[in-house]
Amino acid sequence: MKKHVLIAAFTALLARPALAQMPNDAIYMPKKTICTAVMLGQSNWNWYWENTLKRENYNIGVHTTQSVNVMAAYGITNRVSLIVNLPYVSTSTSAGNLLGQKGFQDLSGWVKVNAVQYKGLSLHGIVGVSAPLSDYVPNFQPMSIGMGAKTVSGRVLLNYKHPRTGLYVTTHGTYTWRGTIRIDQDAYQADGRVYNTNKVAVPNAVDADVRLGILRRTFQTEVFAERFECVSGDNIRRNDMPFPTNNMQVTTVGMYARYQPHKVGVNARGSYVTSGLNMGQSTSFMVGLLYQFHL
Amino acid sequence: MKNFHKILIASTLSLTVWACDKTIDEPQRVGYTPTSVDEKAGTWKTYVLTAPTDVTIATPSSTSSAEYQAELTDLKSRSANLSLDQQEAVVFWGAGAVYRWNEIARELAARYNVPPASNADGKYPVPDAANPTADPKFPFANPPYTARALAYLSVAQYDALVSAWSYKYKFKRVAPSKVDATVRVALPVSALPSYPSEDAVVAAASYTVLKAMFPGEVSFLDAKLAEHRNSRLWAGMNVESDLAAGVSLGTQVGAKVMGRAKTDGMSAANNQTLTAGMIEAAKGRGQTDVWSSQETPVRPPMLPNYGAAINWNFDAATKVKLRPGVAPLPGSDQFNKELAELQSMQKNQTREQARIANYWSDGPGSYTPPGHWNRAAANAAHEAKYSEVRMARTMALVSTAIHDAGVCCWETKFYYYTPRPQQYGVKTSIGLPNFPSYTSGHSTFSAAAATVLGYVFPDKADTFMAQAKEASESRVYGMIHFRSDCDAGLVCGKNIGSYAVTRGQADGSGL
Repeated sequence: MKKHVLIAAFTALLARPALAQMPNDAIYMPKKTICTAVMLGQSNWNWYWENTLKRENYNIGVHTTQSVNVMAAYGITNRVSLIVNLPYVSTSTSAGNLLGQKGFQDLSGWVKVNAVQYKGLSLHGIVGVSAPLSDYVPNFQPMSIGMGAKTVSGRVLLNYKHPRTGLYVTTHGTYTWRGTIRIDQDAYQADGRVYNTNKVAVPNAVDADVRLGILRRTFQTEVFAERFECVSGDNIRRNDMPFPTNNMQVTTVGMYARYQPHKVGVNARGSYVTSGLNMGQSTSFMVGLLYQFHL
Repeated sequence: MKNFHKILIASTLSLTVWACDKTIDEPQRVGYTPTSVDEKAGTWKTYVLTAPTDVTIATPSSTSSAEYQAELTDLKSRSANLSLDQQEAVVFWGAGAVYRWNEIARELAARYNVPPASNADGKYPVPDAANPTADPKFPFANPPYTARALAYLSVAQYDALVSAWSYKYKFKRVAPSKVDATVRVALPVSALPSYPSEDAVVAAASYTVLKAMFPGEVSFLDAKLAEHRNSRLWAGMNVESDLAAGVSLGTQVGAKVMGRAKTDGMSAANNQTLTAGMIEAAKGRGQTDVWSSQETPVRPPMLPNYGAAINWNFDAATKVKLRPGVAPLPGSDQFNKELAELQSMQKNQTREQARIANYWSDGPGSYTPPGHWNRAAANAAHEAKYSEVRMARTMALVSTAIHDAGVCCWETKFYYYTPRPQQYGVKTSIGLPNFPSYTSGHSTFSAAAATVLGYVFPDKADTFMAQAKEASESRVYGMIHFRSDCDAGLVCGKNIGSYAVTRGQADGSGL
């Protein structure tokens, strides 16, 4: 019986078409295979949570973040993948006079390991790191393109895929350590006090998700719900702007789909924030072009 | 083996702590023995008091009296065994009374420096002093408000300390540890007589001013006052009667100084009914394009009549003389050139220009430019190991000059009522203040402060003036001021600061 499963898995692997993969799925690149992706994203909000108060800001109007992500996933072995992502981000508003910011944001790298595989059930360990690629201003919020912090993430991902139908359910939990950043000012206010330094502690964060979908030879589609929250931090003061020390929290729901009959493929993602704290209620879209090749 | 486990657990724990460590190191200030105790400071010229004896304290009991000996016994018991919290309080307040209360004032300014939000009717409710913790909180500690609060704080501290010095050398009661060598002291003891306690004087004077300026913070200030007072007992530095006399003197001076505040014109600073007339007058003088709020909904300008408030170091006629000439008129070659500079900045701002704009931005949520220079002054005086009274003198000279700068600058802004670059489509990388452009407040505040600091600390004069110039230019880099706004503001600020310098040279300190 065991042998049959192994053979079936092996056959499935050989038959596997191009597979774009993300740090939040249970998909692996075959050994010595690279999948590259260029993804264009746009995210908008005009309502946001100032602390718990949901409000608009007529001096911001609609806040837009656009991004170009260049991503590559490489199969080190059939059960270990390396994923690298390079984003270029720009921000703008439809009202007011705040100058939009743009630049390379944070380069991130993830190593994903399929630690346990039992029938359709699999357990994965994922470690990620990220660091700013450019010297962007991290505290001109909400115009800044990022938080400016180096991060280290540890993630555990559990997946069950029904072997015959390709139906799957995935869930993960992550803890992200976010480092101390330096700002241009040598004093700032956080937690109701003044810090006489340029060093700012960006709070650590946790995130989790549930994804339900179907993964077949040439396509994948799923719906998901994600939750992100800082483990500490302060709130946006009444009528003030956000700051990197804020305890940002957000719940997002969305859909993801990918079609990749062979080497070339496309993917798309749409998501919507249902609730949050110290964050915008954004609606986001992303489309990508995928290309896979063997080394 | 058991120990090995312990080490392993300990090192794992410490590694975890290191990885998640979010402690932010800040420069720590500690106490010192002043270079000079300034024993003649009781004769220095005060601002509001006509003489040190305008306020009175009781003649202290002799150090050989049973009353004093009982206080000494009490002090010994209180300073004998300190908890960690008590030790921390001793070190914190030991850095200096004037130093710490200015730091507290800056923190309050930062906490209250947010413009009110508009309500559902598209109006901006005015903060209400009678209901300070409601939304919007009172006060909106914007730069003019903070400049004034810091000036009154410094003047109260200075006048109170001059009076305290006068009484100290009248009564000449020595420090408890000099009466009885077995008193355990936790801080450096100078030759300064200890009745009344300079710490209690500063604490009570500061408390009185800050309670009036930040009426929603009474319980916060109560706790600071109590901790400061107690820290002097825990440190073995003052007996109860030193402190009680200091509180009495400081409170009296604080009340007198706040008496001036009631009639300085600030209560009419937000008189919005005057703006229509101001605009007409500016247009009559040839200002074709005038300032208009760039916010939605349109926000009334910040304190349009602040310029009518009285100054510390010169009279109203001098204020008019200090006002600069007209700004380049929109449409003129000079105006177009300066606008083109900002348009180019918007496209080509370098990271260094952004850094400078950010460093000096001191916008909402910060302690404002007056706070920025207050901090610079306090740090310089601390590093020079100034006595409390000399530090208070420095802070009063600087803070009154900054307040004068604010008043003069606002008078100029609403006299000319000039438009902001944003009225010509320029964006900003730091945020746009809601009042006319000419002259730049940052430039005026900074040049006034740097001029006074250059007089007090001649070795650092060039550094301070270079910082003022950078603060001034930062407003061009942030694209919210035309270059003329900044250049004119710098000149005005220097002139305004020179009046405080003249006062300092004639205040009897010989400094």
